[in-house]
Amino acid sequence: MSKATKGGRRISRREFLGVATAGAGVAFLGACGGGGGQGGGGESYRLYLIVGVTGDEFYTTMECGAQAAAKELGADLKVQGPEEFSAAEQTPILNAAIQANPDAILIAATDVTAMIAPIQSAVNQDITVVLVDTTIKKEEIALAKVSSDNVLGGRQAGEALAKQIGEEGKVMVISVKPGISTTDQRKQGFEEAIEKYPNIQYLGTEYCNDDPTQAASITTSTLRSNPDLKGIFGANVFSGQGAGTGVRQTGKKDEVSVVAFDASPTQVEDLRRGNVDALIAQHPNDIGNTGVRIAVEYLKSEEEPAKKQITTGFTTATRENLDKPEVKKYLYKAEC
Amino acid sequence: MADTKTPQEESRVGRLRAIPGFGSAFIFVILAGLVVGFSIMEGTAFLSAENFLTVAVDASELLLLAVGVTFVIITAGIDLSVGSVLVLSSVIAAQTMVALSGTPEQVHSYKFPNQEVGIPLGIAAGLLIGLACGLINGLLVTKLKLTPFIATLGTLGIFLGTAEILSGGTNVPYVPTAVQSVIGTRNLLGFLPVPIAIGMVVVILAILALHLTQFGRYTYAIGSNAEAARRVGIDVERHLLKVYTLSGFLAGLAGVIDLARFNTASVGAHTLDNLAAISAVVIGGTSLFGGIGTIVGSVVGTFIPAVLRNGFVIAGVQPFWQEIAIGIVLILAVFIDQRRRSAEERM
Amino acid sequence: MHENGSGGRPERDGPLLRVRGINKSFGAVQALKGVDFEVCRGEVVALIGDNGAGKSTLINVITGVFPPDSGEIVFEGERVEFVSPHDARERGIEAVYQDLAVAPQLDAVANIFLGRERRMSGIRGRLGFLDQQRMRRETDEQLEELHVRIPAPAKPLSTFSGGQRQGVAVARAVMWASKVVVMDEPTAALGVAQAGMVLDLIRRVRQTGIPVVFISHNMPQVFDVADRVVVLRLGEVVAELDPEKASTDDAVAAMTGSLRDEESA
Repeated sequence: MSKATKGGRRISRREFLGVATAGAGVAFLGACGGGGGQGGGGESYRLYLIVGVTGDEFYTTMECGAQAAAKELGADLKVQGPEEFSAAEQTPILNAAIQANPDAILIAATDVTAMIAPIQSAVNQDITVVLVDTTIKKEEIALAKVSSDNVLGGRQAGEALAKQIGEEGKVMVISVKPGISTTDQRKQGFEEAIEKYPNIQYLGTEYCNDDPTQAASITTSTLRSNPDLKGIFGANVFSGQGAGTGVRQTGKKDEVSVVAFDASPTQVEDLRRGNVDALIAQHPNDIGNTGVRIAVEYLKSEEEPAKKQITTGFTTATRENLDKPEVKKYLYKAEC
Repeated sequence: MADTKTPQEESRVGRLRAIPGFGSAFIFVILAGLVVGFSIMEGTAFLSAENFLTVAVDASELLLLAVGVTFVIITAGIDLSVGSVLVLSSVIAAQTMVALSGTPEQVHSYKFPNQEVGIPLGIAAGLLIGLACGLINGLLVTKLKLTPFIATLGTLGIFLGTAEILSGGTNVPYVPTAVQSVIGTRNLLGFLPVPIAIGMVVVILAILALHLTQFGRYTYAIGSNAEAARRVGIDVERHLLKVYTLSGFLAGLAGVIDLARFNTASVGAHTLDNLAAISAVVIGGTSLFGGIGTIVGSVVGTFIPAVLRNGFVIAGVQPFWQEIAIGIVLILAVFIDQRRRSAEERM
Repeated sequence: MHENGSGGRPERDGPLLRVRGINKSFGAVQALKGVDFEVCRGEVVALIGDNGAGKSTLINVITGVFPPDSGEIVFEGERVEFVSPHDARERGIEAVYQDLAVAPQLDAVANIFLGRERRMSGIRGRLGFLDQQRMRRETDEQLEELHVRIPAPAKPLSTFSGGQRQGVAVARAVMWASKVVVMDEPTAALGVAQAGMVLDLIRRVRQTGIPVVFISHNMPQVFDVADRVVVLRLGEVVAELDPEKASTDDAVAAMTGSLRDEESA
């Protein structure tokens, strides 16, 4: 139990070097990794975009759209996000962003209930909040909400899958986890759509916790217990990716149709190769772009927007229309 | 072999050295360095009471886990199940509160007539579950003689699976909002958030227990040489049982605080809390081989990553750079502390 | 802790500890066969023998580490059974084992009081708070009385040399023993000077009237300090030698089997 008192030892050269290195490292990373600190040009507004999870091309594309709008409007936009899609990880980031005292925060909330309190805290400090993509139960505390109409998107996916399998056979859904507004709504829309087809048998929904590897193993094990499974709907990027991988692994890509939500580069590749048969691409670029515009518009005019709930559209991508420009521009980007 | 100090001088120095908690002074210097660095870079955005309070609140759950795990690791054990215990405790606490605060119709329309009974019982249930989970871990280690890594790796899955079954995989809805307003987001004396107050009390009690009581002494002794402890008559098995139960209890407390802060039991989260807690403890100077460690060190070890993340977000550093920086600081902190430690020891 | 008895010549009225007909087997190996052994007040008995002779096993039986398969242990005239080392210690029998049984991360005071910590009085004591000052003071006093020097009582034993650690283990046993001290190779890792201090300590213990039983391979040291030398071979007592009359060659011969008769002092 050797204990050295804090005051009783002079700091050795090594220790000083260590602290200096740590401090210098921090400063260096801060300088090269981020924008400047406080007080930019007097006119430009400072915005934060907090995505649901880093590394997800949906959010990366949203970031691109947001940055484009920010550049055009002369605003300073910083993007942050948690490594895990969870409120416990996103809250400290939101709290830190609040401390930086921006003019507005755009946030993709990672839980409909848990994020209410921290977002309320931002609102209480006169920070304008715009909800992008996912929402919270108390939507009204934010300025506006910009998202895809996920029920509509789910319905579109259901129709697309039904067409692919000739309107009959077993289908299932792979989603992220219950409690996320967007994926729950897509599931809802999908179920509504396929109810209309009497010859389609719905096996239910499995959750992969946003892990493509888990989605792949759900796919392979369902195919083992239901070899006559004909269609899978993957409700987000990682779910869709994993479903495509699973189908490819079992060598059944000609028998099983996969319709996936979102159009990440990996999913587009899957589409080309035939592991996936249709992609329902959201327009995250538009979501990010519109979100920034609404925020800046409000900051300038101080008038609430006429429409507080803005929905963006979908584009169905198939192997046939993949390279047409009007479809291509909606495919997700891994970097801007 | 003769010492040059007189016995009086020696015991005075010895007493200074034995002041609890100053073992990891150097890690504290690193934390201070980070605070200074970010303050210079970001000014009052970082250096404000409000920011520090939110950082502390955000770190309050991890702090409880780290304190519990400190005791376990000092005995040369480990507890990988703390994140799962947190989740299971919060689920059971939440469901108890929902069940007892009113009929299903009332609760679904957000009315909670019996919450004065429901909430305290829910809290008690959460704490009891934490205690029980810790006890299970302790029994697996002492009675079945499983190595702690394997035992708690198993219970990690079992506890989490149980939570998922009980909750249906969803975050528990309809939790009375009074939990949040009275505990989760309330400030005592106008400025001190309840989670921080709870954390402080736990830390102080832990420091007293670990450094000044027989319980703490036995914890160190067993980690240092369990066989020697057995030979002098210490009931090692019973002590380990207590230590793992303590870790489970604190994880349960963290689960209750999580419920209070977010007004729901988050089932999909906290998957990496066990690693975060162990990292915090190891940064703080506790040895994975047992026999060495302090509570203050674990507190500092909890705050170093928290301050890093907070500072980087305020500074606008890209998230991926943050991870690299945190990793570098971790390695640096532990490396320098180990060099200092082996310089102190002969042979 | 041990009290200072009326120091003086070793007395021999009735053995303090006597074991009769001790048998102990581990699986197919019989480690002890019908061993009779006794220790009287105020004497130093050395147990010698080749590897595998059964010395450590006999020590373990005497100190309660494990019970004998058959035979009896008579302590202060009473038949006793030791279920654990705790029982033996309760009766005042203290041991220093070959692996020392110290906790390296703890300091000397903590090691010496391990399992016997002094608590504070009153409610603080009941909550488990340790009286560090008192333990430190008692350690200082006892060590001074025993003429044992320990470097830095507040530093962990891992910073001590092997010999210093052994010194702490020996001091611990001597401090707490009220009836018998048993040592397994107490000078094994020590240099000449330190070993000499341990032997002095053994003599000082004898002076207080408390007997010491120790195992050793070091013949010069054995013959220097022991009053009686008991030789074990293959689990049996084959000889008892008087160090003043016998020679180290006799001892070695008995250990290896060339001497079959018993010589008693």
